[in-house]
Amino acid sequence: MTFSADRSTMIEFRDVHKYYGDYHALRGISGEIKSGEFFSLLGPSGCGKTTLLRTIAGFEGISSGAVLIDGKDTAGIPPNKRPTNMVFQSYAIFPHLTVAENVGFGLRRDPRSAAEKSRAVDEALEMVGLKGYGGRAANALSGGQRQRVALARALILKPKVLLLDEPLSALDKKMRELMQVELIKLQRQVGITFILVTHDQEEALVMSDRIAVMFEGEIAQLADPETLYRRPNSRKVADFIGTMNFIPCEVLSQGMDTIEVDAKGLGRVTLSTDQAPPPNGKESPVVGLRPETLTLLYPGQSTQDRTVDGVVDEVIYFGDMTYYDVYIGGTDVEVRLSMRNVPGRPILDVGTQVQLAWNPSALVLFR
Amino acid sequence: MKGGWFRGYAIVYLLVLYAPIMLLPIFAFNDSAIVSFPLAGFTTKWFTQMADEPTLHDALRNSLFIAVSTAVISTLLGILAARASTRFVFPAKGAIMGLIMLPLVLPEIIAAVSLLVVFLGIGIPLGLITIILGHVLVCTPFAIAILSASFQSLDKSLEEAAYDLGETPLSTFWLIILPLVMPGIISSLLITFTISLDEFIMAFFLGGTNVTLPVYIFSQFRFPQSVPVIMALGTLLVLLSITLLAIAEYFRRRGIAKTGGKNTGGFL
Repeated sequence: MTFSADRSTMIEFRDVHKYYGDYHALRGISGEIKSGEFFSLLGPSGCGKTTLLRTIAGFEGISSGAVLIDGKDTAGIPPNKRPTNMVFQSYAIFPHLTVAENVGFGLRRDPRSAAEKSRAVDEALEMVGLKGYGGRAANALSGGQRQRVALARALILKPKVLLLDEPLSALDKKMRELMQVELIKLQRQVGITFILVTHDQEEALVMSDRIAVMFEGEIAQLADPETLYRRPNSRKVADFIGTMNFIPCEVLSQGMDTIEVDAKGLGRVTLSTDQAPPPNGKESPVVGLRPETLTLLYPGQSTQDRTVDGVVDEVIYFGDMTYYDVYIGGTDVEVRLSMRNVPGRPILDVGTQVQLAWNPSALVLFR
Repeated sequence: MKGGWFRGYAIVYLLVLYAPIMLLPIFAFNDSAIVSFPLAGFTTKWFTQMADEPTLHDALRNSLFIAVSTAVISTLLGILAARASTRFVFPAKGAIMGLIMLPLVLPEIIAAVSLLVVFLGIGIPLGLITIILGHVLVCTPFAIAILSASFQSLDKSLEEAAYDLGETPLSTFWLIILPLVMPGIISSLLITFTISLDEFIMAFFLGGTNVTLPVYIFSQFRFPQSVPVIMALGTLLVLLSITLLAIAEYFRRRGIAKTGGKNTGGFL
């Protein structure tokens, strides 16, 4: 999950705005996507992520600002002249053509001989694991196979950027997880910049080198998955990515490097300033805590961390994990924590008195 | 029996609708110049007699020329309108499409009389061309209705994919859109051909001295001795119409299945 920042820039957004009539779809998007990066645009539906992707492909014009691909302004360049190719949400496999004709479609204007093109098609099919499928009718393929054909068809042109618009959303869960891993491998193998649009935060975390989280036409945070997960810069981002407990708190004092807060149920905590993203001033302050940073202490276990007493209110069994909802510190504040189920560790009952261990470094302050 | 009354009603309805047409072949093969029961015997002489009617041959030639021209023109217009209405947003789209589709329900005789007045007023001689113009007016809404279904079931990202893969909008139309809507085009050609072939009012008002098959049939009813020949001719026309419409429906369904759309019902 590491990504070197010294690579060259492949895509650059400069204050991109897009209006549909009165509707402000993109509200000043700026940022860079590096060459060879697996980049995700993540957000709820209607946040503008697909619109942004389509401005790169050239299917959407922009109202102001600029989109640069490999240093060149794309203004006025139609989709068929851009060094990008797209995998569509519906895959857009041409139903009247064979698999090989679909994959080779983009080579129609290629000056190479028919034999060379046919070899290129075979190679592309082999790359996506569809060797020998060339003669089949595109209509006869399963969802996963259509997806692979769409990938091969886009990659055969060796684009500088591959755009993927919710490519896995039509697949079932098992197939989706399989394709996630295959896409990562494929991206490493070809080294092309991949830009993925998804509303599935898990998918974005699994696959991406970096993620731009978008809300309402703006990038809320652009960071690598670990930073996004551990240090979300707003409560909204924290809420969108994974699960987070939000505990009301009071800010007692603000020092140069530290902030002192009193969190309901947890007590006084000293945080470092990098645990507190810039305040937005709109909401009452809370500290955020991920479920897996809380640990249930079983009898006889001890810890270096701070502890808090609690009462189990709800038990949610997931097979490999159990989630507990626990009231802490004798208050009405309820937190969710996750425990891995290991042999010899009993599942607790509702109403059990428990002790939780937690570490102040896992907290994030939103105010 | 559950729903017995409705079943009975449906059967009576279908009888009233189709039983008279069934009389056509019966009398076409009846060996008597008088159209009445009891039947006299089997003959094919009414069919062979058609070969000796030069006015019938003229009418047939006229009708075929008109029907083919009408099918081609109204289908071409239908392609343009269907494409525009399914892919683009433009001001007053609903009103424009509504007005284009209006001839479907407009009393045809009103349209025919109005056209006659206009043609005479601006001095266009009545003939095959004026009948074709009238028929295009009648047939284009059918063509649009059929073709809109074809264009509608076409996934927009198919066009975008072709564009994205290096094709121009024009070559995308040839390579992707046209092949996928071709069943709809064939269906439209056959149905508009059939409608034009059977159409009477426009042909009667706008034809001048030119006679089409329906007008010929109408004029021949004045002569009792030619009624059996008309029965034979009618039998052939019914067979031709049913065949063409069946083929058209086959292509319409195949087209919708091909583009992965849902069958929302057609004219058949």
